[in-house]
Amino acid sequence: MSPLILLLTVLVLQPVVGTVADSFRRDIVFLKPAFAGVSNYTALLDDPGFWSAARFTLLFALVSVQLEVAIGLAIALLLNEPVPFRGLCRACVLIPWSIPAAVSGRVFQLIYDYSNGAANWILQATGLAAAAVNWLGTSMGAFCAVVAADVWKTAPFAAVMLLAGLSAIPEVLYQQAAVDRAGPWQRFVYITLPQLKPVLVVTLLFRTIQAVCIFDVIFVLTGGGPGAATQSLSVLAYSYFGSGDFGYGSAVSALLFALALLLAMLYVRSTRNSARNGTWRRA
Amino acid sequence: MNKRSVAIFASEASVLCFCLAPFLYMLATALSSTGAAYLSPRGALHPTFLPAFLPTLEHFRSILLSPTLHFPRYLLNSVGISLLAALFSVAVAAPAAYALTRMHVPGAQILMFVVLSLSMFPAVSLVSSLFRFMTRLGWINTWQALVLPYVAWSMPLALWTLVSYFQQIPMELDRAALVDGASRFQALRFILLPMAAPGVFSTGLLAFIFAFNEFLYALMLTTDSTARTMPVAIALFEGLHGEIPWGEIMAAAVVATAPVVLLTIVFQQRIVQGLTRGAVKE
Repeated sequence: MSPLILLLTVLVLQPVVGTVADSFRRDIVFLKPAFAGVSNYTALLDDPGFWSAARFTLLFALVSVQLEVAIGLAIALLLNEPVPFRGLCRACVLIPWSIPAAVSGRVFQLIYDYSNGAANWILQATGLAAAAVNWLGTSMGAFCAVVAADVWKTAPFAAVMLLAGLSAIPEVLYQQAAVDRAGPWQRFVYITLPQLKPVLVVTLLFRTIQAVCIFDVIFVLTGGGPGAATQSLSVLAYSYFGSGDFGYGSAVSALLFALALLLAMLYVRSTRNSARNGTWRRA
Repeated sequence: MNKRSVAIFASEASVLCFCLAPFLYMLATALSSTGAAYLSPRGALHPTFLPAFLPTLEHFRSILLSPTLHFPRYLLNSVGISLLAALFSVAVAAPAAYALTRMHVPGAQILMFVVLSLSMFPAVSLVSSLFRFMTRLGWINTWQALVLPYVAWSMPLALWTLVSYFQQIPMELDRAALVDGASRFQALRFILLPMAAPGVFSTGLLAFIFAFNEFLYALMLTTDSTARTMPVAIALFEGLHGEIPWGEIMAAAVVATAPVVLLTIVFQQRIVQGLTRGAVKE
């Protein structure tokens, strides 16, 4: 018990407290650190770079989480049926999840590459686009590329969670529905969705927390570019650490931490609620 | 074939395509010769494309044999660090899970949920302080600078998974061992761990995969091939002459993903169980 508490205190709690403390200091390489009050935070509020990163992060989380939970649900519904090759499909679904995000970022960088990439190759070969699309050079293209890379990597996780939730729905409910002559759509709306709701809520929250913290895919795929169009809050904070401004970078990451903590509390509450209702213990 | 089974096959095919296409594209690029121009539009539409596309190991040879790229070393770092992280996380989580399920720990449930919320902390909020901490210890660019944070990071998952496995083992078994004079440690070592072996293995496996795939800590806490891991090496790999060496990058990507993809396919059911264990009452 105590090694665990010691480990988490030294390597998780202490760094977070340190970061929050840093955010109230002027701490730039080569300058003497000094207490700075809330000046880092007031500077942030006037910083268009911060607001554009905040806007990108929220928009990214909104779009990618919805897409991946929708795709994950579709995959889970399919693989929950006794279809042929189900084992093969279930094994392959885990492959994107298991690949390091930095590696999948690089693969998508090649896919969206202007002259060598598969995206432009397919678009042009099928005649969907007359000229090559400059995916990573425009803000809209880069946004789509980042969302695609993230959805590819994380939809399988959603599928695995939702599949576990689906397989726990009591079969007897569907038998009763069959007696009542309910169609497939009615079974989905009146049985599957309500029964799946706790799992769905926890999966959504869990993925939202991870999406607002997004770093590796963006760092590798676009580097936050073009310009700062795909700079997430994590990438912004990291770039300040990289340039030696620890106080300002810490203020950005402290705000991100506050957002993640808020979502984490919602997450823990919904896990506890479902634990109390007896269907769930953990996500 | 009726309409329904056609629809099922079509949807299965699209699921497989969605999951595998980028992975196979990576593999194909790694195996194609530079002359085949990475399956580029011009290359592919050219009539000589298919005959020209003969798999070659030249990219693998060039990244693995080059004395300046250090890829074998990065792979060793990745595997070594992840193995140590997996071993230590089981070693730390198992006694804690034992205490939480077998002894009356005050506030056990609150502790479990505090640990769970720790796993939601953004890595970027920890990394600058960890960087200073490791600098003070003189550990920057060493294996232990990554192993310890990885153990802490996988702890919530390891603890929750092990607790849910330990709960399934009847209390009478290890209580009988205690009555027979075994110490608590012996009860854990000789009764619980062997009984929960599949769970312990899943926990270690997940901790290994998480450590192997981690990026931000590895980026910030290492400086060169002494401790740098595969994902960071691949992210920072650029060509010498301005042109991006896609063939080499994808060959390195294949080398980096091979261990985790093989583990995932072989132990697929263990991983799914570990991820969803306790999520649904069985």
